[in-house]
Amino acid sequence: MKLFARYNRINLVANIVIFLVASVAFYFSIRYVLIHQIDEDLQIEEDEITAFVHEHNHLPESFSVSDQVIYFTPVSQPVQRTFSTVEMMEKEDRKKEAYRRLVFGINTTAQNYEAVVSKSLEGTDGLLRSILRVSIITILVILLVAAVLNRILLKRLWQPFYASLKAVQNFRPSRTDSLPLSSTNIDEFNAMNETLTAITKRSRLEYLSLKTFSENASHEIQTPIAIVRSKLDLLIQDEALTESQSKTLQSAYNAVEKLSRLNGSLLLLAKIENKQFEEMQRIDLKEKLREKLEDFQELWQGKNITVETDLGSAVVNMNVELGDILLNNLLSNAANHNYNGGSIWIALSNDCLCIGNTSNEAKLDEEEMFQRFYKPSTGNASNGLGLSLIQQIAEASGFHVRYRFQEQHHEFEIRFHPPTK
Amino acid sequence: MKILVVEDEKELSQSICDYLASEQFMCEQAFDYRTALEKISLYDYACVILDITLPDGSGLDLLKDLKKEDKLDGVIIVSAKNAVDDKVIGLKAGADDYLTKPFHLMELGARVDAIIRRKAFDGKNILRFDALQLDLNQKELTVKDKKIELTKKEYELLLYFISNKNKVIAKNAIAVHLWGDNFDIADNYDFIYTHIKNLRKKLLQGGAADYIKSVYGMGYKFSLPA
Repeated sequence: MKLFARYNRINLVANIVIFLVASVAFYFSIRYVLIHQIDEDLQIEEDEITAFVHEHNHLPESFSVSDQVIYFTPVSQPVQRTFSTVEMMEKEDRKKEAYRRLVFGINTTAQNYEAVVSKSLEGTDGLLRSILRVSIITILVILLVAAVLNRILLKRLWQPFYASLKAVQNFRPSRTDSLPLSSTNIDEFNAMNETLTAITKRSRLEYLSLKTFSENASHEIQTPIAIVRSKLDLLIQDEALTESQSKTLQSAYNAVEKLSRLNGSLLLLAKIENKQFEEMQRIDLKEKLREKLEDFQELWQGKNITVETDLGSAVVNMNVELGDILLNNLLSNAANHNYNGGSIWIALSNDCLCIGNTSNEAKLDEEEMFQRFYKPSTGNASNGLGLSLIQQIAEASGFHVRYRFQEQHHEFEIRFHPPTK
Repeated sequence: MKILVVEDEKELSQSICDYLASEQFMCEQAFDYRTALEKISLYDYACVILDITLPDGSGLDLLKDLKKEDKLDGVIIVSAKNAVDDKVIGLKAGADDYLTKPFHLMELGARVDAIIRRKAFDGKNILRFDALQLDLNQKELTVKDKKIELTKKEYELLLYFISNKNKVIAKNAIAVHLWGDNFDIADNYDFIYTHIKNLRKKLLQGGAADYIKSVYGMGYKFSLPA
């Protein structure tokens, strides 16, 4: 939930509760004031009647004006003076109506009377209703205006936050030099931006030093590998080698080979990151793929792998060397992770290349598969850099790699034109 | 014939010399720019193996000096950089070949052999080994005046063998030579065996002796049968 949606929700609920409580209180207090007013009117009436009786020693003529009813009843007992609110029938339209009533005793020399003065509450209720109506409308308008205002204001106030967020989201230690954060006049955001700048700067520096380190390490390792390899090449010239010595030598050879390949891949990754393969060229992928397949099929013979191809024409713009490595890696993977008697299928079209293979290996972890040294299964010959290379090359060439897995079928799709989002 | 190895890494330089030195070649070493410059101005070499990064200068400068003096030496650049730019610059500056470290000595041997052959034959390019006669321009093999059809890989394999005759060639080196460095091949090198078997069969059928000897599953040696 967005911050201001949540804020608005809380705000709105609180406002409505407050306004409801206030309205109820408002209603009762106004009603109280109005009834008090009517009671005073009734008292004035009482005073007038009492004064009249005092003066004339008989009751005034019972009369009723528009909303006021007075009548007298002779009683024997003295009457308790009370105010009350009652419902009464109106004579003309037989509708029940609320009245405020004052009952009091009045005495002439001859007789005790109970006097009842009633005053209609209709006008009061009308007044009350219109006051309430106006106040509820006001409340609604206030709520609406507050919500809209909050929305606009908050959006504007939070603008720097979203700008920073976007900058951080686009931040890649491998590519972004510094965060494009603009300064604001709000302290909190400035503090946040400063922290973000510091963090990203540090991660950039750490990335750079790590990169330099791995590059240097790879370069430094090249020479010892070259020496070891050359010594092995010399050693096998020895005529006096026994069979077991030869076997030992072969193991050493293979290990050096692996190390050399691994190091070569690391250097290659570093070079791609350093953008040393910028030179693009139009490549006829169909032709290239056909050449590769010829080579590879020789290597695959021993594994009894069937290869199905559906090659349409495809011309892409990419670096020649990278294109070569990309195809090598895709094809090598398809065979190296295959089983004896498995199959490989390759489909090339104008906008994508699909290479799939059968395999006993489980689905690859899509989150981690392009990480360096990702090895889902232990014990195979892969160095865990192949997929990383494929991904890096695709990225450098503006391609998009997708992986699909279904029932022991692994498939990689290279889209030459990345999907427009 | 003399070969000069300009390489600051002494162990590697020694390996190269040990491998190349034979009755045919004399191998000299220079570990830095200054010594190398001195040597190339004093003597003529059939081939110079040149490392680009030297402690006191660039191998590329040495190459330019060499060309300025109009020496006929063939030059192979060896570099740890494997940068396409280096390769292009090196070849443009007049180098005959380029090899990336780490390489197999057999690969270097084949390249040196090719350069020396090219200089010596002046483009006439017929290579002989015992009964075999290889036409390097047509890429054809003739045994006892009979043409033998070889596949591209078999031809390359044969040429590689002859260039490294009397040497044990590791299977790994053959794989890299025939299929390049980028192939991610599992530990299994059985596929090489198929090509070797076919080549040997064709040579024998053509009436040549059995030159290819397997060495404990580790590699192969191409030589005249004892």
